[in-house]
Amino acid sequence: MSNLLRTFENEVQLAALAFMGLVYALRLVWIFRFRVGRERTVAVGREGAGTGYSLMNIAMPWAMESTRTHPGRYLEFVVLHLGIAAAIAASFIIPYGPGLFETAWVRGIFRAFIAAAGLAGLARLARRLTNPVLREISSPDDYFSLVFLIVWLAAGVLALPDRPAAGEGPLLAFFGLTAFLLVYVPFSKIGHYLYYPFSRIYLGRTLGHRGAWPPAAAKSAGAGPARKGAA
Amino acid sequence: MSRRTKSPSGVIDAPLDVAAQAKAREEGRPSVRDGRLKTYEPGANVGRFLELLGRRVSRPLAVSLTACVHCGRCAESCHYFLARPDDPTMTPVWKADQIRKIFKRHVDWTGRVAPWWAKAGTPDGDEDLNRLKNVVFGACSACRRCTFNCPMGVDTALLVRFTRGLLTELGIVPEGVFNVSRDQWETGNQMAVTETDFLETIEWMRDDLRAELGPGADIPVDRPDCDILYTINPREIKFDPRSIAHAARIFHAAGASWTLPKWGWDQTNFGLFSGDDALGAYVSRNLYEAAERLRARRIVISECGHGYRSTRWEGYTWSGYDQKLPTESIVAVLRRYLEEGRIVVDPGRNLEPVTFHDSCNIARSGDLVEEPRQVLRRVCADFREMHPNRQENFCCTGGGGLLAMAEYRPLRLEAGKVKAEQLKATEAALVCTMCHNCIDGLGDVIKHYHLPMRVVQVLELVSRALVLPAGS
Ligand code: HEM
Ligand code: SF4
Ligand code: SF4
Repeated sequence: MSNLLRTFENEVQLAALAFMGLVYALRLVWIFRFRVGRERTVAVGREGAGTGYSLMNIAMPWAMESTRTHPGRYLEFVVLHLGIAAAIAASFIIPYGPGLFETAWVRGIFRAFIAAAGLAGLARLARRLTNPVLREISSPDDYFSLVFLIVWLAAGVLALPDRPAAGEGPLLAFFGLTAFLLVYVPFSKIGHYLYYPFSRIYLGRTLGHRGAWPPAAAKSAGAGPARKGAA
Repeated sequence: MSRRTKSPSGVIDAPLDVAAQAKAREEGRPSVRDGRLKTYEPGANVGRFLELLGRRVSRPLAVSLTACVHCGRCAESCHYFLARPDDPTMTPVWKADQIRKIFKRHVDWTGRVAPWWAKAGTPDGDEDLNRLKNVVFGACSACRRCTFNCPMGVDTALLVRFTRGLLTELGIVPEGVFNVSRDQWETGNQMAVTETDFLETIEWMRDDLRAELGPGADIPVDRPDCDILYTINPREIKFDPRSIAHAARIFHAAGASWTLPKWGWDQTNFGLFSGDDALGAYVSRNLYEAAERLRARRIVISECGHGYRSTRWEGYTWSGYDQKLPTESIVAVLRRYLEEGRIVVDPGRNLEPVTFHDSCNIARSGDLVEEPRQVLRRVCADFREMHPNRQENFCCTGGGGLLAMAEYRPLRLEAGKVKAEQLKATEAALVCTMCHNCIDGLGDVIKHYHLPMRVVQVLELVSRALVLPAGS
């Protein structure tokens, strides 16, 4: 292994990760600077249950009409994110647990996931470019994030170490792009995973408090403080 | 604001009509004079808007402003978009982006450094703020259906209300919003009902009730130490006092101890629609204080979607008032009376097929979904669901205060297409709803789409089915 590749796989990745961690920490400070109001009503439901329902919503394709009516798009989302997870995992396994990739079927599974994610990304990009509604709401960042992701996933497919003849080029490309991804994401829409827990928790907490989430049957005492006398 | 995109409806370019504001200033109306109600002054509005934006954004709003991935999945959940599937300006995400881009440009970092990259921007002037007004007031009923369909949990309806609130501070509001806010600030109720009107209407209903049930029947006003403080919608006094009589009949049959307050009786709250938390606080505090003053043991809210949401939930936050008393909808009370056998009903008196329309503010921002159904199944012979229903129901078109904004009526009715289809498919003769706004919204849809049905409320059906004890 060349020194350049070793540096890319280790120091460059760690520096990029540290940068991302730092920017995210600043981002968290930024989020926490916004005030949050105090709930003054007596709960009907359970905030914890509402929050749990809200966070798990993503794994319940039956829960939302928008996923129920478009199962294909939901599948696409799952495939995209599983592939992303596989590529991120690969960026750690290659330098720190290379033994795992010595098994052909493990490499095969990773490659299949990452390739499928690339195709899902392409499908999304095509839709974003051709659907006038999506085009109108898209920003350069939306396009770039997808294009970049597709290129990065393609590099991931090529980088899995079973083609010695290809040399270090694919690995250098993959780790270079991964480093860029880590630096870029906090500034782009890809940073949505940082906000996801917040947006879902606040919504889930409110709706859980009110007994709206999880959707449930009628309650017998939904009015607030304990009843004082018959009404 | 995107100048490239013009909504074909013309809604986006609807002018700012400030005639009523000018008149209110001229007349020295108290709410304007003492600064509670803001009027439009041409000039430094963009600067003030940005200052308010920076100051008022809360954490749930900030994350809703940053979390959107522009996936477009919310589009088909919106009745406006379903009526205009080729118009991107009707998608929830486009509407939310109109405030999001300003937030990104001035509060968020990427938009501050590279605005074009994130499509961030600043309103050019009052004209742009007026367009923003037309988006958030004119093309959204704040129904929250998109919120429930966003995988990221982005609360677009909350963003819409927030933006409305900023514009309300600048007087950049539809005339109807100004007028109703003025009335509620100045008279304590949305329809400027005077105390005399209120008391006379109650007296009229009381006389009718006694003619039917005997001298023991009553509609008490300001009676202390009752179990129930019953709060109503001014529409009941102005246009439909029978609903008060229905409630009174049922309370009488159940032997309830109840009263209306002479002041603080309006459970509706235009602050929810205008985004004005100060108005929201004023109105809800009147009501909570009425309950305290009369030492009532429970607050009961008559049938009203936004009134229920405001009084049961948001009002406590707006007014900084910790909830002390149980606060519930009359429908929950009806259900309890039926369950406990305190009233007896005969479903044979409601033979027409009945369907139920869930109010957005109750089903998606509140908690009552099964309760009205349980009541209707007891009092109607033929109850049938509308689809989709419960938290997935579509807006009646009248949410978000849109009934008070005449300039957006054509688009509102066009957006009612999906509601009309829903109603028609039920083949019901009656559509029941527990909301006074929905009565008018659905009434408009029924008329516009020539549907052979009528709107009723839960109280009316229960009152009709009520079997009074012998001798009453
Ligand atoms: C907690 C982790 C994450 C969650 C909950 C999450 C959630 C989501 C959701 C709900 C969507 C919209 C899905 C749809 O359109 O159907 C989305 C889109 C997307 N996600 Fe994630 N995501 C996560 C992590 C990531 C990561 C780590 C990346 C990339 C490194 C990523 C990249 C993307 C991209 C590029 C899109 C947009 C696709 C498009 O433009 O059509 N996500 N994500
Ligand atoms: S569904 Fe949510 S994340 Fe997707 S575009 Fe709509 S608001 Fe944004
Ligand atoms: S709140 Fe309702 S009307 Fe407004 S954008 Fe969302 S779905 Fe459409």
